[in-house]
Amino acid sequence: MIKRLILDGAYFLSTSKRYQANKRFFYNLLENDSYRYKKYFDMLMITLIMISVIILIREVKSHVNDFLLYFNNYIISIIFLIEYLLRLWVISSTSEVIIKQNEYDTMLGKEFNLFASILEISRVKFKYITSVRAIIDLLAIVPFFHQLRLLRIFILFRVFKLFRYARSFQTFASVLATKKFEFLTLLMFSSIVIFVSSVLIYVMEANNPDSPIDTLYEAVYWSIVTISTVGYGDITPTSDAGRLVAMFVITAGIAVLAFTTSLVVSAFTEKLDEIRETKSVDDLKKIKEFYIICGYENIAQEVAIQLSKRNSLIVLDEDISRVKQAQKDGFTAFNYDPGSVESYKKLRIDIKTQVKAILCLRESDVENVYTALTVRSFNKDIFLLSLLMNEINRNKLSFAGVNEILYSKELVGLIAKEFVGKPVAFEVVHALRSEYTNVDIEEVIVTQRMLSNFTLVEQLNNSKYRVVLLGIYKQAHKRFFFNPIDSTVLEEGDYLLVIGNSVFIKEFEKYLHTKIKR
Amino acid sequence: MKISALIFGYNDYSAQIAKNVLHKYQDISIFKLDSDEKKADLEDYNIETFDLSDEWTDLSENHDIKNSVAFCVLEDDAENIFLTISLRAAFEDLTIIALSKNKESANKLSMAGANKVIPLVQTTASMICDMLDKPIVTEVLHSILYEQSDLKVAQIEIKSDACFNNKFPSDIEWSREHGIIVLSVLHEDGNSEFIFSSKAKHHEIKIGDVFVVVGYETDIQEFEKLIGGDACV
Repeated sequence: MIKRLILDGAYFLSTSKRYQANKRFFYNLLENDSYRYKKYFDMLMITLIMISVIILIREVKSHVNDFLLYFNNYIISIIFLIEYLLRLWVISSTSEVIIKQNEYDTMLGKEFNLFASILEISRVKFKYITSVRAIIDLLAIVPFFHQLRLLRIFILFRVFKLFRYARSFQTFASVLATKKFEFLTLLMFSSIVIFVSSVLIYVMEANNPDSPIDTLYEAVYWSIVTISTVGYGDITPTSDAGRLVAMFVITAGIAVLAFTTSLVVSAFTEKLDEIRETKSVDDLKKIKEFYIICGYENIAQEVAIQLSKRNSLIVLDEDISRVKQAQKDGFTAFNYDPGSVESYKKLRIDIKTQVKAILCLRESDVENVYTALTVRSFNKDIFLLSLLMNEINRNKLSFAGVNEILYSKELVGLIAKEFVGKPVAFEVVHALRSEYTNVDIEEVIVTQRMLSNFTLVEQLNNSKYRVVLLGIYKQAHKRFFFNPIDSTVLEEGDYLLVIGNSVFIKEFEKYLHTKIKR
Repeated sequence: MKISALIFGYNDYSAQIAKNVLHKYQDISIFKLDSDEKKADLEDYNIETFDLSDEWTDLSENHDIKNSVAFCVLEDDAENIFLTISLRAAFEDLTIIALSKNKESANKLSMAGANKVIPLVQTTASMICDMLDKPIVTEVLHSILYEQSDLKVAQIEIKSDACFNNKFPSDIEWSREHGIIVLSVLHEDGNSEFIFSSKAKHHEIKIGDVFVVVGYETDIQEFEKLIGGDACV
């Protein structure tokens, strides 16, 4: 009966959309670094910790307002307690464990083993409770029992809680963790030196009436102060034998200090690229829209330079030297393989809303087809543009789902044709497209706002602004209408193609968007 | 002697150029180096072999150099520059169009005497950026320039000033009266200017000016007749 109830409850929870949505919300808020609102939650917690510490410091020598004490002892502690319980809740799914166990037992034709699932749930939760972070969290709640004066000091655990919210602390800890073995060796070495030297100095000095070392505690204190090269000088050996020990400890101290410094430095040097990469990935979230350029060879380089004038972009390339070049050129570049789904996952971006287009610019059709297929395997809609190096591979790129293919050799042929046929016309059109002349050709989208002022071509008044209307691209017909007649009706989503001095075009656009009072 | 397109290089670029200039030249000769391997898509053309140390005496005997155009599209940039400079040294009047793989060699090719350099990387990159930034402009310009559409860009020389005597380009309602849009005027003194730029008032229309216009083929033909004849209708 109880088993049945528990099972029903578990199935209800795992299928309840509301319950799952709530759980996901709290999980994101507490654990998911890429969640938008987590930073606000973290900031709130950091503020509470700071308030707590300030009150502790103030309380040492002066009286603190009763409300503040109440706030510190109860409200903050309760908030921390709630946080602790929420973490314990979201860290694993109890209902899932029960369901899994039930399915497993059903498969084997056995009766549902409630005990096994309780054991598994306890194991996972216990593992969390005994983790360093959870212990610190728990100790930070302890000052709640403020009647026990000694427990006040546990407020300091709230400071340790900061580690949870400040990413740089976590980075620091993770970097040092990579040198765990070396640090352990160093710890062993220094412990042995401290132990040996403490015993030696105690034996040599404890019976000497002139010596300040009387107890083993003082001997250990002296050893640690000396080996750390701090050397306060409040306790110094007086006998020759004691000084000999001191010389040994000082020498060992220099070695320990040098070794520690080099360990920390080398750990950071090794991890520096990774830290930078993590930072760059985090920064991507702040960019609203950008292009992804796959590959950084000649054409890609030039595209990146030209595109970056008006847009944001990132570069992915599996070749480290090309990635370095891209970084040197000032672009955000990752040494990720553009042909691997994993690479896009690592970027932790929302491809649908953040990425304008993915450009396959490797100078190899094989690589571009592979990249295009990879992208299409997880996203069907994103705009894909690819270079084509050999005409016979055109259909392969189309088949891979590339929206726009650019065959540079064909372009050379077309340019040659135009140049031998109409050199002046060619130069004029080329100048229109280049940025070096102040004359430009722009597309202006017809918006609803614009339509409230202008409904016909004749109302545009473009000649007043010395802007030439080359034509209208009608979205509805997907067709370009050259030199439209005055009575042409403007519709939302149409594009006006205008030519003129870039300053005049800007003025004209401004005029189109300004509400005219009639 | 034949007016020819002389294409130096035996590769995909040569094939594309040959295909595109076929309509313009009586003769297309593709020059290959001895080391080049046979290519199926170039078999239909007249293939000749050459050497970078050639003196080019045969070339001037067989082709009307003054009216021919040479395309230097060798794969290797250094060889391409060498070829351009040796062609220029041999023929002062030859129009040379050269392909460069990067910016640096583009400058060198110009210095070597190429009349027009196609910087492959820059051109391709600009095309890609235009496609992304201004997709509609790019599509429209591409179809006007390169594809078989009714809309054309043409250059027309003014042969009679009867119609536009003492007028400024900006004073005339081109689009309404003639159905064309004038983009630019190349004046006799070699200065080219966009008609809609702020400086448009500096020049009056004169005989010999070249107009670059966009319009439908029929309108352009009408306009050509108009400015070529004496009567202004």
